[in-house]
Amino acid sequence: MGGKSSAINRREFLKRGALGLGALAASPLARKSWAASKDRVTILHGIGPDSLNPYAHSASPTYGIWQHIYEPLVEVDYARKEFYGVLAESWEFQGKKWVFRLKKGIRFHNGAPLTSKDVVFSINRMKNDKASLQRSNFRDVVEMQTPDDHTVIITTKTPKAVFLDRLHNRFMMSKAAADKYGDQVDQHPAGTGPYKFVSWERGGNLVMTRNDDYWGPKAEIKEVVYRKVGEDAARVAGLLAGQGDVINNVPVDEIPRLGSHPRVRVEKVAGLRMYFLAMNVTLKPFDNKFVRQAVNYCIDPQAIIKYIYDGNGYMVDGPVPSHVIGHNPNLKRYPNDPKKARELLAKAGFSNGVEVKLYFSPDRYPKAREICQVIADQLLKGGIKTELVSQEFVIFWGKDGVNGGKLPFYYVGRPFIDTDTLYDQYFQSGVTRRIGYSNPEFDRLMKEQQATGDQKKRVAILQETGRILMEDVPFVPLYNLAEVYGAARNIVWKARPDEKILTSEMKIKS
Amino acid sequence: MAGARYLKIWVGGAILLTLLVCGLAAPYLAPYDPQEQVLEHRLRPPTFAGQGPGPHWLGTDNLGRDILSRIIYGSRISLLVGATTVILAGLLGCLLGALAGYFGNLTDEIISKITEIFLAFPFLLLAIALMAFLGQGLVNLIVALMMSRWVQYCRVVRGEVLSLKERDFVVAARALGGRDLYVLVRHVVPNTLASVTVIATFAMAIVIIAEASLSFLGLGVPTHIPTWGSMLSEGRVYMYRAPWLTIFPGFAIFVTVFGINLLGDGLRDILDPKLRGRR
Repeated sequence: MGGKSSAINRREFLKRGALGLGALAASPLARKSWAASKDRVTILHGIGPDSLNPYAHSASPTYGIWQHIYEPLVEVDYARKEFYGVLAESWEFQGKKWVFRLKKGIRFHNGAPLTSKDVVFSINRMKNDKASLQRSNFRDVVEMQTPDDHTVIITTKTPKAVFLDRLHNRFMMSKAAADKYGDQVDQHPAGTGPYKFVSWERGGNLVMTRNDDYWGPKAEIKEVVYRKVGEDAARVAGLLAGQGDVINNVPVDEIPRLGSHPRVRVEKVAGLRMYFLAMNVTLKPFDNKFVRQAVNYCIDPQAIIKYIYDGNGYMVDGPVPSHVIGHNPNLKRYPNDPKKARELLAKAGFSNGVEVKLYFSPDRYPKAREICQVIADQLLKGGIKTELVSQEFVIFWGKDGVNGGKLPFYYVGRPFIDTDTLYDQYFQSGVTRRIGYSNPEFDRLMKEQQATGDQKKRVAILQETGRILMEDVPFVPLYNLAEVYGAARNIVWKARPDEKILTSEMKIKS
Repeated sequence: MAGARYLKIWVGGAILLTLLVCGLAAPYLAPYDPQEQVLEHRLRPPTFAGQGPGPHWLGTDNLGRDILSRIIYGSRISLLVGATTVILAGLLGCLLGALAGYFGNLTDEIISKITEIFLAFPFLLLAIALMAFLGQGLVNLIVALMMSRWVQYCRVVRGEVLSLKERDFVVAARALGGRDLYVLVRHVVPNTLASVTVIATFAMAIVIIAEASLSFLGLGVPTHIPTWGSMLSEGRVYMYRAPWLTIFPGFAIFVTVFGINLLGDGLRDILDPKLRGRR
């Protein structure tokens, strides 16, 4: 035993074995305990991607995730309420045509240069991919031309002044990658963004690493880990325990605790997302205008803001909030008047009250469960008995839910800076099935403003469309909330109002 | 130690009886409407008469609802779900178990295979899967819990019947010309009742916890019905700011399950022939 011929003896074997095991164990441990290192940031988020198809969703935070890898033609400067080019150098609105000139010298992660063909390919995929939830943005596009490698001409059925808004959050992928991988292209994401895809597990981590060949200013942080943590309390605990460096949707009740923590700070910004109750006018009893108006008379958003959000919100007085383009100061919300609601219900033929189901997704929007309970209580005072139905976001938002037009009454939020974004997506005939609303006069005005290049005139028409909406009220406008994030103190970062967490905008203090 | 044995039954029975009274007389016992929201009074700590604007003995929750009233009303759901599930699962399980044990052969084969399939899934996982499939609702909840709970009865009853049917009194009953149904109902099944009662009490405790777990996960009864599980679930966000939101419903679950287990334990001590011998 243990003769001279043997290379290692038992003791040596154990020693080396222990070292090896230690090293093995240390690598995943290091990932967790050293999260706030100089090189990596871990973001714990309430939602994560449900697939690697960058077009199979339409949720703002998810755009923020994909924007690490893929980039859009244009992005919004929220302070100045205008667009600036990302991949696009410049653009021109010429009646039915939009001409985009692309920046030169940009390369995808697979090495292929960005050309106009990639733009056409990407838009076609958003339009035609069965899984795409972004196709309505391009429904008016009739033709796309590529006169040269850096020019794209997009022709629409009718003049589309608001087309830049439709291109917002529309990401460009590499056609070369799609040609190479076919159906499997999403397993090999290749964009032009500041970060490159490393790995993804469903419901687990999405890992990305810095693109050192990025065409613009390079990101400071080397690695990003996005982890889906649906529970508010779990995200907060994760941040406090150092498992994550940035978290979203911090419950307002946790603001004081996070604010006084030595290692953590609270980051707040007024959000662009307007929350509202949507009523599908194709489903009973919301096909009746009086019922919809009655619902409006029942709701008191001020109470929700004051008691449930500790004041961290801003009531919407009218169809849209006052900070957006197209707001009409003369349009006011329905006052809180349960008695009036009962009268309207009686007029609608429901003198004994009416029963409805209110759908919500508890993990998606902050405190949704509590709010919907308060709303149910407010509705009850007006004679509307509400049953609450809680659904997973994937189901809530999918083909059997909001986007299939299957839900009669639901709590939802939509971020926008231009009133047209909301009106087009939710209220214009045939765009989405979310509400099923259709009013020829409304549609006419919408088409008119969408074709009007003169911003002043366009806003005037938008303000007029709001008047029709406030009469038909297929929704109950509620409020905008403060977007509350928690972040490690050593992360220098300012929250964006659009719910995107972009690591390229972060630095880590040493 | 006969005294201790009866003590268990007395204490357990008293707890269960209290629960029963709470559930039945909820409208008279609860100081407030359990649904009534008074947002101005949200997150009030427990106060007593004479203190503050209204006496909330166990405080108020995040929407200003009285926690004591919600716990009292919540006992209805726990009790209803617990009792109904246990009875229905018991009937189904006993019936199939008796058939399997008494007739043997192919009947036994088939029923035993089915129970094995059900046993292959962890209890709560099966209930969660069924709830996800059936959707929220009180009836669905009871069905889901029943489907995942009947197997225990079936296995035990089958085993008992297997041994009972060879006993002299059963053989004698058959020799006298008793038909299968008569022998089963008159002579075999009554002799399994002792074991069934014991299983039922433990099952009830497990079902009450399962109901709370499913409600906690948002898979139980609809949101507007107060249950202990959903109270815990809603209160956990406020664990630091207002711990009474979770402590009291949690305590209610604990005491109830403890009481039922005590009762079951006491019953087993008396009914189990093996233990009986040691008296």
